[in-house]
Amino acid sequence: MRKLLVVTAREYLERVRTRWFIIATVFGPIIIGLLLFVPPWLTSRNTASANLARIVILDATGTNLGNRIAAELNGGLGGDTSLTEVRAVPPARLAEAESLATRQTVAKSTRGYLVLDSNTIAGRSARYAGTNATSSADMDAISRVVRDEVVAMRLERAGLDPFQSAALANMHLDLDAERITDRGRGASARVSIFFAFGVAMLLYISLIMYGQAVLRGVIEEKQTRVAEVVVSSVSPIKLLGGKVLGVGAVGLTQMVIWIGVGFTLMKVRAQVLGHYGVRITPINIPDISIGAALLLLAFFVLGYTFYAALFAMVGATVSNEQDAQQAQMPVVMLLVVSVFALAPVLSAPESKLAYTMGWLPFSSPIIMPLRMSVVSLETFDIVIALVALACSCYIAVVLAARVYRTGLLMYGKRPALREVVRWMRRSH
Amino acid sequence: MPEPAVEIRNVVKRYDGHTAVRGLSLTVPKGAVYGILGPNGAGKTTTIRMVLDIIEPDEGTIDVLGMPNNAPGAIDRVGYLPEERGLYRRMQVRRVLRFLAELKGIGRREADRRIDGWLERLGLRTAERDWGNAKVDDLSRGMQQKIQFIGALLHDPELLILDEPFSGLDPINAQTLQDIVIELRRSGKTILFCTHMMGSAERLCDSVCIIARGEKLIDGPVAKVREEHGGRRVALELADGRVNGVAAVLADRTLVSKVDDANRIFDIELAPGADAQLLLRRLVESGANIARFEMAQASLHRIFVERVGAVSSAEEENINA
Repeated sequence: MRKLLVVTAREYLERVRTRWFIIATVFGPIIIGLLLFVPPWLTSRNTASANLARIVILDATGTNLGNRIAAELNGGLGGDTSLTEVRAVPPARLAEAESLATRQTVAKSTRGYLVLDSNTIAGRSARYAGTNATSSADMDAISRVVRDEVVAMRLERAGLDPFQSAALANMHLDLDAERITDRGRGASARVSIFFAFGVAMLLYISLIMYGQAVLRGVIEEKQTRVAEVVVSSVSPIKLLGGKVLGVGAVGLTQMVIWIGVGFTLMKVRAQVLGHYGVRITPINIPDISIGAALLLLAFFVLGYTFYAALFAMVGATVSNEQDAQQAQMPVVMLLVVSVFALAPVLSAPESKLAYTMGWLPFSSPIIMPLRMSVVSLETFDIVIALVALACSCYIAVVLAARVYRTGLLMYGKRPALREVVRWMRRSH
Repeated sequence: MPEPAVEIRNVVKRYDGHTAVRGLSLTVPKGAVYGILGPNGAGKTTTIRMVLDIIEPDEGTIDVLGMPNNAPGAIDRVGYLPEERGLYRRMQVRRVLRFLAELKGIGRREADRRIDGWLERLGLRTAERDWGNAKVDDLSRGMQQKIQFIGALLHDPELLILDEPFSGLDPINAQTLQDIVIELRRSGKTILFCTHMMGSAERLCDSVCIIARGEKLIDGPVAKVREEHGGRRVALELADGRVNGVAAVLADRTLVSKVDDANRIFDIELAPGADAQLLLRRLVESGANIARFEMAQASLHRIFVERVGAVSSAEEENINA
């Protein structure tokens, strides 16, 4: 037991000390941070410019549409309309007025100009030209104002009083608000799918990453021949056990840091962005019960042990990294198959495929957490998956230990599969 | 008789298709320097790995320091320097050594104290530079060998097992290692080492065991082995090249059973019961111009070559038949 701890401690400390670990552990949160903060910030940069109103309106409609739009652009009635210059232009002189406005825009005395004509009154089109014409947010804002005012004016013309028409014209604002709540609901479903997929991918990446770390550790010990000294002090089984535990502990450390930082960032996200004037819909992390979290942990630990044993087995049969690349393919394929099943399982979490992949030990560590996060599963379903995984885990560890014990001190040519099977059969 | 340091009884180890060790029995007395000699592939490393409980024998038992070698704690009293040497390359030297010591049950503090002592003693920790803080990769090959050797000694083992300890060592490091082996022996430790280099075995060993093809050929104290298996030998050197008469004398099978002729120098094995003085007289009578006539014991090297060679040729005959 003491020796197992010594081996585990070495594996853990040496790995945590490496530059790779520090970089990965620091960069994980940085990437999470970038994902959480940069997109909303970029979007906010894209929202309508504050000085959207600093434009010229060429009103050739012969109505007060230009003035109404100017007022609306500056915060409605009572707004300061000094930024916006409305020029009433007879339709015949529109071209002349436009070229003047173009020169002013180029000279930067205005940001651009909005042309209103009979087409606008008819509800067909308005034109805008300006330095900010490529900003979709600005264009959206302007076109919304124009649309609102045209609708209101047409309603007034149809005989409704200005208040009624304003209420009707602005009705779609209410609709918009409703859509936001609607999207909010839709978003929560999407968040849970996003979350499920994220968990599954995180599991996949960590299984492969830490599994390969075990593989490389085994090869290093074989290649440097240090294995022989070490196994003269500690049994190969304990050496393997310590390695798997140590690397697993490194994995957990890293995940705890990542998940911890991720959750914290997610929580303070709205506040921090709000501080910079960016408003966002908060992401609601699906509530995870303690039981579900423990199940998740169980699947990770068992899955990791299962794959670490397989990777260690591969490591014990090869003598260098090149051979390892080839020899690990079957193990990696098992993981890749699970990832290919993600989308179909996600769209039908209670299909036959979902059950099968959920129970098979090589895919259950990835598929079960995915299914768990999107639907609530029956107890028998979870129990079957866990028991199957635990049993396979035990078998994998025993076989890996046998292969490891024999393979660890074999250098040179890669043994044939038949030979490896013989190693597995030897119980001592 | 005190309990032996290592007692191997009828040990057999089979691998797929061949038997590496066949019914080997040997006893390493406590406090001795014991050499297992054999050509490459004789089963030396397999034997040592079985002694260290790295691999299990298919048959037979092994006791180490008075207890079965798989008993808890038995192997913690043994130090091992394998033939295939290596350390964790990216680890700091001190941490590697601490790890090896902790595996043998030495506490961290005590380990650090001993590590400093050994590093100083082997010139790896001086006022200017402490190599203990360097990474293993930054050390020269010779330094790495020393570190590996320290690793085998940190827990002050009662039995030290060295597999081809001198291979790949420069003469200075080899001498350092040899000095330490002698010192350890003086302080009552047992040293078991494997080699195919007879010179070092002859200098260092109290007892030897020669194995080939997984079988023991000879074992016992070096002097006894030389006496019993080397036959009685005479080294003869002639002052000139006139060898006609000499050849006739040496061809007499009642006097001489075997001759190695290296021009003017002859390595002669006396026939059983033959008298060396008679041979000398006959040589003088033959008119030989004798520069040297010396009674000599066979070197381990010669015994080794003869015995192992005999096994090889016998085996070849078996194959041919």
